[in-house]
Amino acid sequence: MSAILAITRAGPLLTVQDAGRFGHLADGISASGPMDAMAYQLAGALAGADHAGLEITMAGMALKLQSGRCRIGLAGGLFVARHNEHILDWPGSVVLETGDELTITPGAAGNYGYLRFDGELGLPPVMGSRATSSRARLGGLSGRPLQVGDVLELHGASGAAPGPVALPEPQDGPIRFVWGLHADLFATEIRQRFASTPFGISRRLDRMGVRLDEPAGVFADATSLSLVSDAIVPGDIQILGDGTPIVLMRDHQPTGGYPRIGTIITADLDRFAQLRPESTVEFAPVSVDHAHQLLRNRQP
Amino acid sequence: MTGSPVIETFPTPTIVTLGDSALLVRFGTALTESANRAAIALATQLNREPLAGVLEVVPNLVSVLLRYDPLQSRRADIVGELRLRLFALDPAAVSASRDWTISVHFDGPDLDSVAADLGLSSAEFIAAHNARPVRVLATGFAPGFVYCGMHPDNLVVPRRTEVRPMVPPGTVLFAAGQTAITATELPTGWHIIGSTDFNNFDPAAAAPTQLAPGDQLHFVVAS
Repeated sequence: MSAILAITRAGPLLTVQDAGRFGHLADGISASGPMDAMAYQLAGALAGADHAGLEITMAGMALKLQSGRCRIGLAGGLFVARHNEHILDWPGSVVLETGDELTITPGAAGNYGYLRFDGELGLPPVMGSRATSSRARLGGLSGRPLQVGDVLELHGASGAAPGPVALPEPQDGPIRFVWGLHADLFATEIRQRFASTPFGISRRLDRMGVRLDEPAGVFADATSLSLVSDAIVPGDIQILGDGTPIVLMRDHQPTGGYPRIGTIITADLDRFAQLRPESTVEFAPVSVDHAHQLLRNRQP
Repeated sequence: MTGSPVIETFPTPTIVTLGDSALLVRFGTALTESANRAAIALATQLNREPLAGVLEVVPNLVSVLLRYDPLQSRRADIVGELRLRLFALDPAAVSASRDWTISVHFDGPDLDSVAADLGLSSAEFIAAHNARPVRVLATGFAPGFVYCGMHPDNLVVPRRTEVRPMVPPGTVLFAAGQTAITATELPTGWHIIGSTDFNNFDPAAAAPTQLAPGDQLHFVVAS
């Protein structure tokens, strides 16, 4: 059974995402995929299927189910979702019937929400994935964010109830990182200050990177280095020539030449992605083994 | 084979942590021919005989990225196997490169100033640039974007101080002893010396990029 949905309101960065386009770094393409991978998984479990879905930003979205029937799952951040005029649980799940409207607006916390379906989006995979890469302009719908008027087709949607879904415990505390590729190029004193100074999340954030504000000027005196361009991974914390720290996110460029002091651990990168502009973040170093332990403990 | 020098030894590699889901084998911290050849040789070897637990192998200018899933594999196991591979890495086993001829329209806005900075006329610069083949050193930065080199010391200019906001696919760039070719629209701080109709990125193709690290490029003036 298929369902047709029409986008009736779209923030500027409403994108189709799946788990990511892995395996193409050697072609110069990073994996993309959801900014909050665990929330994306949760929304999928609530929808009862593992198909591509939509990543919603603080600008929100709305859609109308023009025909058919489908179950949706919602998770990530804290948004306000309305099914017609009825406010839904967040995270949550509901069946949409023909003519139903779904409206999602920003709530109390977070930058990214996920809307997933129990049907498969009728969009062609590009290089094995439907994830939209904002940098390479690949995937999703013609490699671009969704817009008002876009119509999406869902194949195989049934509206069936999902199995039981465990909700994760909320986490807080410092964002943990492992020392980075170029950590040894930073003076001990700068490294110590990096791990003990609060930074601000700036307004300059997108799927490629999050710039940090640092009123304390931790990197003001860091000398600009000429480095050979090398591999970048999501979570890398690089220091630009003017001392601005920037955390590279899912649509990162695959290689880069700025020094990287650390890399946010996988278990904390989702949480970091949800930190809003003008909030404060502290970083704490951990060992790789500890990062792996935290990742194992996180699994449901 | 066109003039590949015989490399007696590779630089000593170091295995570096890159986050909690990747390792980097680095053959140096500066771009040298031998470090680049070593990176290509290791990546070729690891792609030919995959290491258990490694999800993706990516050659960079002087290093190789190995991505793994810490929930499926133990880092120590991968490092152990990797050390064995590195110990046995044979410089003589570098795979034969493919040869490509790339036609370039030498009409870039920075061609004359680059030539002048090198004390050459534009015609002399073009002749020197095309005099010998260069190798693809790495693909990176953007889809299908290739770094090619190394040019001899008398053809080295630094990057521009200003970044051009966007240049089209097929732009031929020059800086730091290298020629680079764009395959998508992107900003660049390199000098633009020309353009090519050669397209190194097609997302619909079975292999989205054609050029591989180690391939030899012969630049010719487009007729």
